[in-house]
Amino acid sequence: MKLERLTQIVMGHPKLVIGIVVAISIFFMAQFPKITIDTDPKHMLPATSPVRQYNDKIEKDFVLHPDVIVLGIVNTDGIFNPQTLKYIKDLTDAVRQIPGVIVRDVDSLTSVENVFSKEGELVVKPALADIPQTEEGLSALRKTILDNSLFVGRFISSDGKAVAIFIPIEPTANGKEIADNIRAILPKNPGQNHFYLAGDPVARDTFGTEMFRQMGFFSPIAGLVMCIALMCMFRNVVVIIAYMSAAMIGIIWSMGGLIGLGFPVHIMSSMSPVFLMAIATDAVHIFNEFAFRLREGQDKRKAILETMKVVGSPVFYSDITTAVGFAALATVTIVPVKIFGLVVAFGTLVVLLLSFTFIPALLMLVPEKHILKLASAQGKEEKFYPLLLRLGRFCVEKTKPILLVGIMLFIVAMAGLSRIHVNNNMVHWFKFNSEVRTADRVMNKYLGGTSTGYLVVQAQKDSDAGDPAFLRQIEGLQRELEKDPLIGKTFSLVDYIKRVNLVMHDNAPLFNRIPDSKQEVGQYLFLLQSAAKPRHLDNVVDFSLRTANIIVQLKIWDADAMKSVIGRANSFFASHPLPEVTNFKPAGIAYFNMVWNHEVLWGMVSSFLWGLVLVLILLVFVTRSFLWGILSFLPLLFTIALIYGVVGLIGKDFDMPVAVLSTLSLGMAIDFAIHFVGRFQQRYKEDPRKPGGDGWASNSPSHLKEALIWTVARPGKGIFLNAILFALGFAVMVFAALTPYITVGVFMAAIMVLSSVMSVIYLPALIQLWHRKLIK
Amino acid sequence: MKKMLSVPVILFLLFVSGSLIKNTYAQDTQSGKTAMNEMLLAYYYPQTDAKSEISMRIVNRQGQVRERRLTMLRLNETPGGGQFYYIYFHEPADVKGMSFLVLKHLGRDDDRWLYLPAIDLVKRIATSNRRTSFAGSDFTYEDVSGRALDEDEHVLTGDENLGAYSCLVVKSTPKRPGEIEFSYMKFWIDKTTHLSLKVEHYDLKGKLYKVYETQEIQTIQGTPTITKAVMKDLENERYTEITMKNVSYGAGITSDIFQERLLRRPPRQWIGE
Repeated sequence: MKLERLTQIVMGHPKLVIGIVVAISIFFMAQFPKITIDTDPKHMLPATSPVRQYNDKIEKDFVLHPDVIVLGIVNTDGIFNPQTLKYIKDLTDAVRQIPGVIVRDVDSLTSVENVFSKEGELVVKPALADIPQTEEGLSALRKTILDNSLFVGRFISSDGKAVAIFIPIEPTANGKEIADNIRAILPKNPGQNHFYLAGDPVARDTFGTEMFRQMGFFSPIAGLVMCIALMCMFRNVVVIIAYMSAAMIGIIWSMGGLIGLGFPVHIMSSMSPVFLMAIATDAVHIFNEFAFRLREGQDKRKAILETMKVVGSPVFYSDITTAVGFAALATVTIVPVKIFGLVVAFGTLVVLLLSFTFIPALLMLVPEKHILKLASAQGKEEKFYPLLLRLGRFCVEKTKPILLVGIMLFIVAMAGLSRIHVNNNMVHWFKFNSEVRTADRVMNKYLGGTSTGYLVVQAQKDSDAGDPAFLRQIEGLQRELEKDPLIGKTFSLVDYIKRVNLVMHDNAPLFNRIPDSKQEVGQYLFLLQSAAKPRHLDNVVDFSLRTANIIVQLKIWDADAMKSVIGRANSFFASHPLPEVTNFKPAGIAYFNMVWNHEVLWGMVSSFLWGLVLVLILLVFVTRSFLWGILSFLPLLFTIALIYGVVGLIGKDFDMPVAVLSTLSLGMAIDFAIHFVGRFQQRYKEDPRKPGGDGWASNSPSHLKEALIWTVARPGKGIFLNAILFALGFAVMVFAALTPYITVGVFMAAIMVLSSVMSVIYLPALIQLWHRKLIK
Repeated sequence: MKKMLSVPVILFLLFVSGSLIKNTYAQDTQSGKTAMNEMLLAYYYPQTDAKSEISMRIVNRQGQVRERRLTMLRLNETPGGGQFYYIYFHEPADVKGMSFLVLKHLGRDDDRWLYLPAIDLVKRIATSNRRTSFAGSDFTYEDVSGRALDEDEHVLTGDENLGAYSCLVVKSTPKRPGEIEFSYMKFWIDKTTHLSLKVEHYDLKGKLYKVYETQEIQTIQGTPTITKAVMKDLENERYTEITMKNVSYGAGITSDIFQERLLRRPPRQWIGE
């Protein structure tokens, strides 16, 4: 093993090695100030992706703002009172002063024109101009506003209890900062009025800011928890320093490298520190064995070398498999996931390198008496040992029942797996009662919906979109879409045309329809151009009257909701074919979320399968045996099946964080099997009490059992310690305020505990079962 | 003794300079208002009546084009006072025959009527908003018919040459801010013709968002007349080009054609097919 040579060289110059490591760390640390962050879900897809390019084109062509904050005002007594109306007016004016807000396109009842018919005259005036002070005035205003179907569900709720102010922001502006600025100007004693801030930029940028606060808070806490756990296990400061510095250096090198190369930090890579801290716990195997060796009376230098000799190989291969598992993420098209996989893979390799260089060097520098304390502390821990011995005996003797339980669990897991539901919802990344999620829920309760999709319908030639037949088809599609309770409002050129037809005919209900002649449509359109802001009309139809845009408001951020929109549109066009409609294409943030959600799934599934294959190949290589490779592989497979079975059974969506974890769990959960099998094989070969013959030739059942029990008890202790440490580190993330972190925390803890148990319990059972084939 | 003297001297100087500054300011607003008034008269009120054929090209950021062709008849009640407008659309084909009648009043809302041939309907329009788009272009209704002098505070901010033209620069700030989407406008007014050659619109945060530019001036019947101009919307990346053709002044347009019932039967004497 060449790495042992490396360790020997290192131990000759411990100070030099530590000096070099520190110097490199300072270089990587110097990159940190250059940090940039990116939380835009659109950047999940590469800039060259056709979906992203088409979406950009649609936003440009229809002058749609990609980033719009929605300020909602809810008054359960109704908003038609002088106080609330004044809030609407004042806030519409005030938000315009906020830097980053696109001033002229702020839309609310005070800025849009209401066109209505009054005593035979066509009245055009802002929907909310002068605030009436009398009851009659207020109820008249209520009537003119709620009568306008263009406003209901968009600017005002149909029950008149909620209004919305739409605040488009510059693409470069930070949604959270603007949201904070808006919060600062909200009235202090609003009485019955409640204010809510929703919209994609608020959620996205709040998440970005929170993400760093959470990671800044939980990374050290996770580190602290792991240190305390290590302290309890080893009662030695040296161990903690060695572990912590290995983890910190791994984090500094990989994050520094990421930032230094100019990549922005996304939600996924923000979690790398916690992952690396957990990966660094692999060093526990070194400490565990080192302590055993010391207690057996070896001197420090020899103990280190001997430790590295026996633990070196499993540590090497388990870190390599971990790195492979993460690197498999590089095959995914989702850019942030790809980067995250490579960052953690790199960090893992750094940790691996440190295990063979920095950690032995550090142990060399520690005075003998501290080390001796470690040895004696370990001695006191003997009581852990008999418990594991008993567990070992149990595993070896109750092979059949253990395997039976396993098979039953596996069947349950399969049932769960079949029920997995793939979905993603960005707002659900916040906790139920968080400000962002509450605002979103309230806005969706009253208004058409905070998530937006577009259906762009293109006619065969110019001016065809003004054809009544074409418009009727659009209208039919809208009514079909609105049958879905999650689609709150749809909005198109049709709504404008019908509105003009109605008011031109003095609100005679008969005329609330699409006119019969193209000429009439054309003249109404002409009128609209003079009455509305030019941009409003440009949002729904292009100049040449060829392409119409249907704006679909969704009440939920689920990727599934947009799937339903597309499904309904497809079936509608299938049953109502018209030559005019050459094609329709979806776009908008809702569609975007749907696409990358789909990409995440298939990207993850394929990289997961790749990861499985790679790990299996590696295992076969490590164990130099196909059968042993499969054997070590089974606990991992079992763990993953169980975990995702539970995900399916409890009905948790298979969303982005969960999907990413699937690939991660690979490399991490396999470590224990590698350690177990590696150490068992060594023990079986070396056991001085072996009854006769040499090495593998010996096939005595009692010898086999003894070696298994020893493996469960001694390296098994390292495995459990590692798993507990790991689980504790992740478990603190349960207290995070963002749900993806909670998910990651729970999952990783579960995977670790489960895979350690699976390895230690099922490997002895399987080895027993197959020992004739395994050990020839 | 010297000190005693110096105090009243300083006070006197302060007083004089103070009133001087005040005077210059007053003169500036005065001359700003004068310049603006001259511009309004030259731009919107030349001669007693006028007939012109107007073509508009509206271009969006995709490069798509909408075209309009219309005839506009104008009659002044008094110079700088009320006006009558009759606007008849020839193109595009589906709006042919649509017409507008506007009786512009100072100090109160205009009277406006609209005729829609598709449903043969004359409708009176009640609105106080003069900032809506004119026929879907980047010009507002107010850009076409003029903004009342008293609505803004006009300050002469200096002289500037715009190409070969020597211009006065006037900054106009609305007297009732908050009701309007711009915080101020800046006019470049040609000293000889009094026509505005360039107008910049600044939004509520002081950012330039719209620019008007005169592109061609012809002298017709002794009256300098803008025959080509453009309005650019910088944010939405749209612009509208406007071209005046067959302009004639003093043609003898009479007030009796500005009647709502005549919207159905446009005066063929003035408006061709």
